[in-house]
Amino acid sequence: MLKVHDLRAGYGKSEVLRGISFEVNRGEVVTIVGVNGAGKSTTLKTLCGVVRAQSGRITFDGADISNRPANEIVERGLTMIPEGRQLFPFLTVKDNLLMGAYKKAARSTVAKRYEEVLEMFPRVRERLAQHAGSLSGGEQQMVAIARGMMASPKLLIFDEPSLGLSPLLVEMMFEIIEKITAQGITVLIVEQNVFHTLKLADRGYVLENGEISLSGTGQELLDSDHVRRAYLGM
Amino acid sequence: MKKTSIDLILNEHRAFESVLTALREFVDGIAAGRYTADFGLLAAMIEYVTEVPEQVHHHKEDEYLFARLRLRAPDAGPLIDELMRQHARGPKLTAALERALIHYRNAEKAGLDAFHNKVNEYVDFQWQHILKEERELLPLAQERLLADDWAIIDAAFLTNHNPWRGVEDEYAALFERIVSLAPAPIGLGGSSANQGFRTAD
Repeated sequence: MLKVHDLRAGYGKSEVLRGISFEVNRGEVVTIVGVNGAGKSTTLKTLCGVVRAQSGRITFDGADISNRPANEIVERGLTMIPEGRQLFPFLTVKDNLLMGAYKKAARSTVAKRYEEVLEMFPRVRERLAQHAGSLSGGEQQMVAIARGMMASPKLLIFDEPSLGLSPLLVEMMFEIIEKITAQGITVLIVEQNVFHTLKLADRGYVLENGEISLSGTGQELLDSDHVRRAYLGM
Repeated sequence: MKKTSIDLILNEHRAFESVLTALREFVDGIAAGRYTADFGLLAAMIEYVTEVPEQVHHHKEDEYLFARLRLRAPDAGPLIDELMRQHARGPKLTAALERALIHYRNAEKAGLDAFHNKVNEYVDFQWQHILKEERELLPLAQERLLADDWAIIDAAFLTNHNPWRGVEDEYAALFERIVSLAPAPIGLGGSSANQGFRTAD
């Protein structure tokens, strides 16, 4: 579904991604793990057309989407739930959700999708009339995920979904992601919370200093001495 | 193969720690005036830390992991004995927590200090126990246990598909209730403003 080949990207003269290659197949849960500064968020921003690729190729469902505008990439079915939620704080939760279905392909089914998403997130239904900015961090994260689901994505990308959440909410968040993956939605997760993410993932990549240093199934990476030493403190 | 059980143990520890952390932060917050005492939430948290380790976790360690390791590593006997004593002490501490909660509920603010102390004692105890298992026992188990041992241990631990829901999802509603009631940023509950006592439903 998504193929990234020898991707190089960065900011100005600073090269952050140094020729990374990875792929996400339909129905899979794939994770990219790494510490701060490894290039995880840059990878996602480049996939979504926010950061320009300096070289390399990104294909999605067979089409080259390298350096295509973000709105075109979203129309093709790639949706990102950004780090820090990025809700519209002065819009209601309902309006934030409806913004998730703004792309052309989602507009015709918005009413049906809205009900389906609220079925999945009963807590969000209770908050529909509130301004998104008045919600707690955990609730905002749920709204951000619900908004992403409104687009009926083919590939849902999570950027650090557990960032800034309490341990209790991290447990809950991964439970929600597990429910989403159980629906067969293809998921790419970028996370620092290596343990939870690798438990969930079919496959994973370890990103270090802008390069893929290791790849394998979630369990293979959990079993890797390098991952256990560097990321799990074992 | 041998890491399957270890990952499940770590998974269960992380889930348990999330409730321990929430309990400590909530009670610290009550003592500091940041949160309103919610006895329904406190009772739910204590029920969770009482039930889940005993019903889901400790017996598998005692009967399978510890038992096999005792056979393969006789020198680990004192460590295993100590961890089993700690397993036995856990229910006594949670019973003391329950009594302190009743006293706190009856005596209101006058009972808070004693309850706060019991919470800190319990959480510190469990953290030390978990650290001891992860830093001392699990590395030894990885070193000494054989494939046959892990097959038996894995079979026991794999009965629990989710670290905090229990084998038959029997604790799912309890965990969700804790997440739902705990005030932000600990959980998804409402305002943390301290406006007096709130009683259980």
